[in-house]
Amino acid sequence: MPNLLEQPGYFFVVATLLPLASFALLLLSGGIKQLARRYRDQSPWCESLFAIMDGPSLRRLPALVALLAIAAAFACSLAGGILYFQEQSALQGDLAFLQQELANKERELLKAPEESKEAIEEEIEGKRSAIAYRLATHQRRVDQCWQGQFFTLFKLRPSGATPGRGTQLEVGFRVDMLTVLMFLMVTFIATLIHLYSMAYLAEESADSVEDHEVHTAASHLHRRGRFGRFFLYLSLFCFSMLHLLLADNLLQVFVSWELVGICSFLLIGFYYERQSASNAANKAFIVNRVGDAGFLIGLLIVWSYLGTFHFESIFAQLRAPVRDAHHDISFAGRIVRADPVLPGEEGSRRLRIPRGKKEAGQSGVGGSEGSEVILWPARPPGEYHAPHAGQAVKVVANPALDQRRFRDELAEKGEHGAMPYWMLVAAGLGLFLGCVGKSAQFPLQVWLPDAMEGPTPVSALIHAATMVAAGVYLVGRCYPLFTPEVLLVIAYTGAITLFVAATIAVVQDDIKKVLAYSTVSQLGFMMLALGVGGWAAGLFHLLTHAFFKALLFLGAGSVILACHHEQNLQKMGGLLSRLPITGWAMLAGVLAIAGTPLFSGWYSKDAILAHALGFVYVRPGHLLLFLLPLVTAGLTTFYMFRLWFLAFSGTPRDPHVFEKARESPWPMTLPLVLLAACSVGIAWGWPVWDARASWIDVTLQSNQPNSVLAEFGIVSHSDEGHSHEHGHGHGEAWPGAKKGPLSERQWAHELHDYAGLLALGMAVLGLVFAWVTYYSRTLDPAQARQQFPAIHALLVNRWYFDHLYDALLVRPAIVVARGCAAFDLRYLDGLAHALARGAVAIARLDNRFDQGLVDGLVNLVAGTAYAAGGLVRHVQTGALRTYLVFLVLATVALFIVLSYVALAAGG
Amino acid sequence: MIDLNAYLFLGAILFTCGVCCLMTKRNAIGVLMGVELILNGATINFVAFAHFNPTFEIEGQIFALFVIALAAAEAAVALAIALNFYNNHDSIDVDRAEELKG
Repeated sequence: MPNLLEQPGYFFVVATLLPLASFALLLLSGGIKQLARRYRDQSPWCESLFAIMDGPSLRRLPALVALLAIAAAFACSLAGGILYFQEQSALQGDLAFLQQELANKERELLKAPEESKEAIEEEIEGKRSAIAYRLATHQRRVDQCWQGQFFTLFKLRPSGATPGRGTQLEVGFRVDMLTVLMFLMVTFIATLIHLYSMAYLAEESADSVEDHEVHTAASHLHRRGRFGRFFLYLSLFCFSMLHLLLADNLLQVFVSWELVGICSFLLIGFYYERQSASNAANKAFIVNRVGDAGFLIGLLIVWSYLGTFHFESIFAQLRAPVRDAHHDISFAGRIVRADPVLPGEEGSRRLRIPRGKKEAGQSGVGGSEGSEVILWPARPPGEYHAPHAGQAVKVVANPALDQRRFRDELAEKGEHGAMPYWMLVAAGLGLFLGCVGKSAQFPLQVWLPDAMEGPTPVSALIHAATMVAAGVYLVGRCYPLFTPEVLLVIAYTGAITLFVAATIAVVQDDIKKVLAYSTVSQLGFMMLALGVGGWAAGLFHLLTHAFFKALLFLGAGSVILACHHEQNLQKMGGLLSRLPITGWAMLAGVLAIAGTPLFSGWYSKDAILAHALGFVYVRPGHLLLFLLPLVTAGLTTFYMFRLWFLAFSGTPRDPHVFEKARESPWPMTLPLVLLAACSVGIAWGWPVWDARASWIDVTLQSNQPNSVLAEFGIVSHSDEGHSHEHGHGHGEAWPGAKKGPLSERQWAHELHDYAGLLALGMAVLGLVFAWVTYYSRTLDPAQARQQFPAIHALLVNRWYFDHLYDALLVRPAIVVARGCAAFDLRYLDGLAHALARGAVAIARLDNRFDQGLVDGLVNLVAGTAYAAGGLVRHVQTGALRTYLVFLVLATVALFIVLSYVALAAGG
Repeated sequence: MIDLNAYLFLGAILFTCGVCCLMTKRNAIGVLMGVELILNGATINFVAFAHFNPTFEIEGQIFALFVIALAAAEAAVALAIALNFYNNHDSIDVDRAEELKG
């Protein structure tokens, strides 16, 4: 057992394993209970065991076990998180101090007289090495305390390689700022949702539950309650999700990726007697398989070219290091491309890194064109000289099976690995396709709205706050792996998704469907942000969105329960007087998602729009990447207020529903209140009114990967490779950037307020529309429907995506399947039958031959022997005197014969 | 002086009488007696050859003694069989002993 205070990373390991323990416990006890149920009639022992386990007090125990496990996991993540924050803030403080001193010395150098310059330069060098030393100690501490390898899964040793040199798979964990924030979010929301579910699914703990949605011949379906099973799945989900966040390599991520997928499948199909629920579960599972195929392709490419799944070594190999033995490297943090030099030498190849062009928007560093990507040493050795632009690089012939260490040895000799650039693009697209499936992005967005068939707490936890955000998380985690082309694809995918989903949400009448499309749309916002270089903004929105979307879903669940499973917004209305806590809490969520200033959504959405605007400002060709999210910001406000007005304001449209509505019990309202508080204030920083000061944003910004700055942060260095200075990838302190035109990220910073104002304007517009349509009823929605029938039909039919897939994929698949079945029945079965018949005929013939000839022969021999025996046996009379007669006669005959012979011989 | 042929005739007559007795008697004791006659016929041959052939010394007489001893032993066994048979069948008619019929 590692000492938790010395190795605080294990806090997170414990937090991950707690839900697994709860899962195992529930699975075991559930299995015992089922066995006891089966044999209770046969054994009195089983009967009493079953009576105990099925008792009214123990029946609700699974929920408590799962709740305690996840609450303890939250406590663990909180403890680990606090320690991590302490360490980070110490590091940031030290670095800020050292950099301040460095800047002072540099200023001094400019003013100093010639003779003292040398001394000051020496001091500057000293400061620099102090910074490097501080970073190195931090790195050591991270290696020691915040990550670990549990065991090696397997070692692949290429034939003929020296021992110890081979590719290996390790199971381990790594904690960084993103992990910490995600852990806190997931465990906190999961704890609240466990509590909420205890009340929401209370009726499932009964002996017999009536499912009103399933009709049997006589009445409705009656089945056993599934209280324990729900919490069993939920625990498994929590473990899988936390493991996904904790994993330090892509393979572990893939494993938990599938695990959360299966939990999602099981929970969507929780009411599996309903046809719609089982269809939705299948749909979710199958659509996700499409994405996972891409994920697998990405994994295989990474494995075959980089020989590792470990995040750190993947990124270190793809992205140029910041320093080599002597200099800062000009293309630090970039993917460096090169072209082969012709003709190639024998055994190894040479690539030349092209010099960059000095144009606006083009980096002057070089290495941005070429058909191959240079692979760098994962941990550069002491005497390492990095190549620079215009230089030829020696590349080993087959880097496919190299281990990290192997590549480092090569680097000492000045050799590097290389992989085709298009392969890297394919790997990035493949991984992103996995994220598209999981995060329900265009064109795989169709499964998420159907997933609302699951119980509402599941929709809140899995299909709004955590699992669907895993795709966004993975894009953020693998960010250095994505080339600019892939990032552009990500941005456009996000932009299309957020717009399409928001438009559909406008016409949905099912309260959960509105929220589902809203989730898809918000996930699109996150993807867009990641694609345009707003790494921190995208993940920031992920975190804030998790809180307010969980709140909205739980609120919707409260409404649904109060209205006795009525989900149609058109039948609600005026519920605020009946459900005051739910109503006001949901209003907080609505305001947050709409981007009302000072609510959490405001900070993150502004950040996203600012990055989109910055991106578009530098590359005006991609104007759509800003326009779509801007319009959608207004749409978001519109459909969210539409939902709230329809449900809570006005007069009750269905008195039947209204009369029975009651506020939910405290286990449901408490999470609502807590989440409402978080939706308002979770993102606050100092000063609160500054959209850029949110603590989450600041924290993420200071922990973003170098590649974000390399791709979007720096513009136009001078062309000489080693001549200028860099900071060390912390903050925006890359001084070379100030020389040329501003980069995307700097424009985003400059234009933050404009983007925010535009978004606010759109949001107000959306609110006004929602107000006049659904609150004051000045505009009649039915009239709008009649005026734009084509658009309304398009939206109601969800842009015909389902129809399209139905026509393009589902129906052809069914037709092909039918054809195959017919072919099977007709020809394959016919052939099989003909063969069988032939075999039977041959067997008959064979039988006749056997019975007639073979058996006949054998029987003939036996029969002959039998007949002979029958004939001869009469000689054996058993009578003594008969034998004697024979004996005497034989003797006499012998005597006569012998005498005759003797006479004849003698004669 | 009685010559060899006389003895051989006596032996042959005894042997033939014994065989006829064997074949005709149904009484087990009678059968036994026939066996004794056959053995005695053979014994006379042994002794006669031994007496008249100078190349023999005493071998014929010894053989005769053997045959007498064997006959005594055989009679004991045979009588035991006859007794057992009588116990099972209440008779010693050899024609009734036909359980070994094929």
